[in-house]
Amino acid sequence: MALLEGLRLSKRFGGVTALSEVSFTVEEGTIVGLIGPNGAGKTTLFNLVAGALKPDSGRVVFRGEDITGLSPNIVCRHGIARTFQVTRPFGTMTCLENVGVGVINSPRSESDGNWRATALHYLETVGVEDLAFTEARHLNVVQKKKLEIARALATRPKILMLDEVLGGLNSQEIVQAVDFIRRLRDELHLTVFWIEHVMGAIMKAAEKVIVLDQGQHLMEGTPEQVVADSRVIHAYLGE
Amino acid sequence: MTDIRFYLILFAAAGLFSLLPLGLGDYHLHVMIVSLYYLMMASSWNLLAGYTGQVSFAHAAFAGIGAYTSGILAVKFGVNPWAGVIIGTAAASLLGLGVGVLCLRMGGIYLSLTTLGFSEILRIVITNEYDITRGTMGLQVPGLVEEYSKAAYFYIMLGAAMITLIVLYKLIYSNKGLCFRAVQNDERAAASLGVDVVKVRVLAFTVSSALAGLAGGLYGHYLHLITPEIPSLDQQFLVLSMTVIGGMGSFLGPVIGAFSLEILSEYIRAYGEYHVLVFGLIALVVARFAPNGLMGLAASRLPGGPAPAVTVPSTGKS
Repeated sequence: MALLEGLRLSKRFGGVTALSEVSFTVEEGTIVGLIGPNGAGKTTLFNLVAGALKPDSGRVVFRGEDITGLSPNIVCRHGIARTFQVTRPFGTMTCLENVGVGVINSPRSESDGNWRATALHYLETVGVEDLAFTEARHLNVVQKKKLEIARALATRPKILMLDEVLGGLNSQEIVQAVDFIRRLRDELHLTVFWIEHVMGAIMKAAEKVIVLDQGQHLMEGTPEQVVADSRVIHAYLGE
Repeated sequence: MTDIRFYLILFAAAGLFSLLPLGLGDYHLHVMIVSLYYLMMASSWNLLAGYTGQVSFAHAAFAGIGAYTSGILAVKFGVNPWAGVIIGTAAASLLGLGVGVLCLRMGGIYLSLTTLGFSEILRIVITNEYDITRGTMGLQVPGLVEEYSKAAYFYIMLGAAMITLIVLYKLIYSNKGLCFRAVQNDERAAASLGVDVVKVRVLAFTVSSALAGLAGGLYGHYLHLITPEIPSLDQQFLVLSMTVIGGMGSFLGPVIGAFSLEILSEYIRAYGEYHVLVFGLIALVVARFAPNGLMGLAASRLPGGPAPAVTVPSTGKS
């Protein structure tokens, strides 16, 4: 059954059509990759789902409920968590406090007033617990990305939307990161919706890949189908 | 800071302060009373500007609302000044709620401009509604105590300052306070984690306005004369300077800023209007060399304190 569904979503910025009638489904428990060349509309699609932008037309349905146009904080409470392409840490707050914000605002939070222990747990999950009392602005890019994942997990989402979390990692680290995300999915019973430029990673991790090109839904299928598709190769490499 | 440590320090400091009337003359007590007023103003403004990133220029205006509400009630309707102060606080918080809701969708400079406009409108109304407010002549109001004594007012202001600090502490170090700081850092990221940004901003505005109303109400009755000086922009910028110089976004910063600038201003009072210039220069120097204020400076100098903060992006200059 589809956990998250987009129905004919469109979004225009002035004269530019960022997304045009894009429909997609994300099945519960799967890892779905979202790929496409620069400017294809991937992040716009994420913003429409997360409530950061309102679609001009179309609907977003999550667990059978219409969540189109709800504000981001309400969408989060429904169980959708996201990370940002350019990380947005709370710079003057410690990592523990950063994650704490997610803990205390989650309606599904398991902490009874003690958000610190829960926040620490999520820092451990992503492996930055030794930075718990460091202000987030002192972190490097990779640590910031890990912190964002911890923060998102702390809201106890049903679906985790990752926007290019592998940028800045070397090939060895990418392999580990892919394993890590798959493990997260299995252990926390998550669904993962994942924008990524690192093709090898998405091909290894995803069960389904959706390809956008110039605001249009180009195709979708298994990773094998996608890499073999002439339209995808065309979109990436041109004639 | 743990709760127990905060209350220990607060009550120890208040205990030491309460000895002051034994040793200080009327003039010095007056300076202390005014400092306590500014402590309340700067600390509550810090909740807005330092913890949720809303730079409001209407804070002195809300003190004026508190002062004039209580003053007019006492003069025109014979309301007990204490009840007046409470009603004035309520009026300030209601108006704060209104302005907060009005400014919901505004960020940054737009909020500042709107509150600046609100502040000026209020000043003009007060100046011109002579029949009710006595305009620039000032409204003579009764005091809070039967027999006038500086010491009594000192204790009243000390008590009110403690209440202010406790309310702020409770808020800032609660779960709500965590959301406040998240909103100040990055509204979009905060919203994506389930923080109701609108609610946070309105709450901060309301609480901060109420505390300004309380401070203004008490201060007016202490002075026995309420003038448009209380809700003036001069006062607003003074409160702003105190917060910035003391350390915006730190709990103790505005407290330090209020005392040091008020005491300093007594020394340079002789230079008349130029003392505002001196404040401006100090604020500039602090902003350039200690962007986190005196508190930031202290934190980076003290052994064992946090590492020197680098909030100002490097411009590449040497």
